[in-house]
Amino acid sequence: MALGGAAVPLTGCDLFDRDDESRPPDPLEPLAAEATALEARYRAAATAVPALTERLTAIADAHRAHAEELRKVIGRPAPSGSPAASPSAAAADPDTVRTELRQAEQAGRDNAAKACAAAPAERAALLGSIAAARATHLEALK
Amino acid sequence: MSPTSGPAQALGDALAAEYAAIWAYGVIGVHLTESARSAARAAEAAHRARRDALILQLSAGGGQVPADRAGYALPYPVTDRASALKLAVEIEERTAGHWRAALPHTTGADRNKALAALTDCALRATRWRRTAGVTPLTVPFPGRQV
Repeated sequence: MALGGAAVPLTGCDLFDRDDESRPPDPLEPLAAEATALEARYRAAATAVPALTERLTAIADAHRAHAEELRKVIGRPAPSGSPAASPSAAAADPDTVRTELRQAEQAGRDNAAKACAAAPAERAALLGSIAAARATHLEALK
Repeated sequence: MSPTSGPAQALGDALAAEYAAIWAYGVIGVHLTESARSAARAAEAAHRARRDALILQLSAGGGQVPADRAGYALPYPVTDRASALKLAVEIEERTAGHWRAALPHTTGADRNKALAALTDCALRATRWRRTAGVTPLTVPFPGRQV
């Protein structure tokens, strides 16, 4: 039954969307989702490694602040379908935790720098600060 | 004179901030020793490189290139290691702010250069906080004036 009707829901969807004034996804959606995912990662790691709790919590707070600012700029709440950040149970070994966080942070930094380069003027400063902040997180993880 | 806004003004402001940073590191360095003094010297050299690149860029654009000043007013007396490190953090955050302000006025390679400068300033501010034993080591939005 799904095979024959595959095209119909798509058409219906298009019509519905037009009526619904839906906008295309904002190009900053992935960056906002990444900030939320990074926050969750740092919170889990902060719990797993008491020796690093203070430092990691400060960085988690920064990622949350980034996500909030990005949401403001996007002008919409997070899509309801966005996957809840569910980091796998963080390793308790501090060195492993740091290595994993650094990898995620490095990817995030690169993404923010690319977003800054591609952004219209009114978004450039915020994205620049986020890229720079992620670079300082890497430094703080050393 | 220069326009009140736009790329030349924004980059001119960044240049003025670089002049001030170079001057400040002269004051900062004498109160530091060993690795911290080396770090101050490296930071000063980095600011000189940005200054030189900005002068070239602004000259090539045919616009007015702001001149350096003979001296700058310190926000507080810098008399020891602690006050020198405090000033170093503040100088980097301040300079980061001027580079951040240049981002909306630039595109392409020039914006990437401004972002690299903003990031370098933020990184040095973080390293100076670590040297000074200040926590947290980072701020959520480097260069954003609060």
